Amino acid sequence: MNFNTLLKKLMNKGDSKDIAKQRLKFALLTDKLEIKTDTLGNLQKDLVEVISRYFEIDKESIKIDIQRSEKSSALIFNTPILAAHRQQGIPVA
Amino acid sequence: MDGKVIVVTSGKGGVGKTTISASIGAAMAMQGKRVAIVDMDIGLRNLDVVMGLENRIVFNIIDIIKGNCKIKQAAIKDRRIDNLYLIPASQSDDKNAIKPENMVWLTNQLRKEFDITLLDCPAGIEQGFKNSIAAADEALVVCTPEVSAVRDADRIIGLLYAQSITPKLIVNRIVPEMVKNGDMLSHEDVVEVLAIDLIGLIEMDDQVVVATNTGTPLVLKEASKAGMALQRIAMRLNGHPDLPIENPMDKKSFWKKLGSKFSRKN
Repeated sequence: MNFNTLLKKLMNKGDSKDIAKQRLKFALLTDKLEIKTDTLGNLQKDLVEVISRYFEIDKESIKIDIQRSEKSSALIFNTPILAAHRQQGIPVA
Repeated sequence: MDGKVIVVTSGKGGVGKTTISASIGAAMAMQGKRVAIVDMDIGLRNLDVVMGLENRIVFNIIDIIKGNCKIKQAAIKDRRIDNLYLIPASQSDDKNAIKPENMVWLTNQLRKEFDITLLDCPAGIEQGFKNSIAAADEALVVCTPEVSAVRDADRIIGLLYAQSITPKLIVNRIVPEMVKNGDMLSHEDVVEVLAIDLIGLIEMDDQVVVATNTGTPLVLKEASKAGMALQRIAMRLNGHPDLPIENPMDKKSFWKKLGSKFSRKN
């Protein structure tokens, strides 16, 4: 054990490499969850198209978002339904 | 003859791609292969100065692709090491002067002439990177034990997988003293985070700067720890995949002795 290590032990400081590893793991995780700017917009368009086959929805008050917490990530899609279409079953392409 | 094309890449700049390309190329040539190293960094060429061949450039890669010259005219022969050739980048052209399909054509020509074609990829993930990986059979990802370099390596590895290439990892510039004190990521940490196979570990070595100053191939310097590590990486690529990877943390002289033995033989 050299002087620096001893000093670090005495001051009760953790190894900086452990901090590096932890930060790295977190950065890689969030990097992988990152999406292109127009992805959410495109998804919303597609979702509205599909849902509109079954329900009449208020297209203005739709909310789509990704919520991230430390451990997980969730896609939140919220839309008010105005009415159900009586005639369902428009064939899915 | 149907040679192999290996790309040396990293994402982040300044982690040692060019030195590693030049050294592995030189070592493989010394081990008896016909080797071409191609500088893919159009507009910012550097492989020529690292290899000490900057005064002998007549034609470059763009000239070959535009049909202004033959491959043989552009490939510069290293006079110190037999069977080692450099194809320099152009300093005046734009990165977009080459397209991936041009590289596929060029490397197919090179496969006929050379056992090994090494592509020294530029930093980044733009055109130069796309050109480099379009033509590669195998990839070496270079990374230093730093957060930024490891993060970029992870991105590069993902892009290589998307091209159906399974890369191998080189961890460069390890400072054993700092690793020992817990102030630098160990190669085990890096491998754990990136989850790919290791092909070599290179210790921080002042001789690299000295060799680059003079344009001398690092692998000709017996005193260089990095040079010896690079020779062993070349052997692993060259039909000895099971040659054990020396850990810079172990201060044993066995590998040093073995390394110098090989360099004397050639």
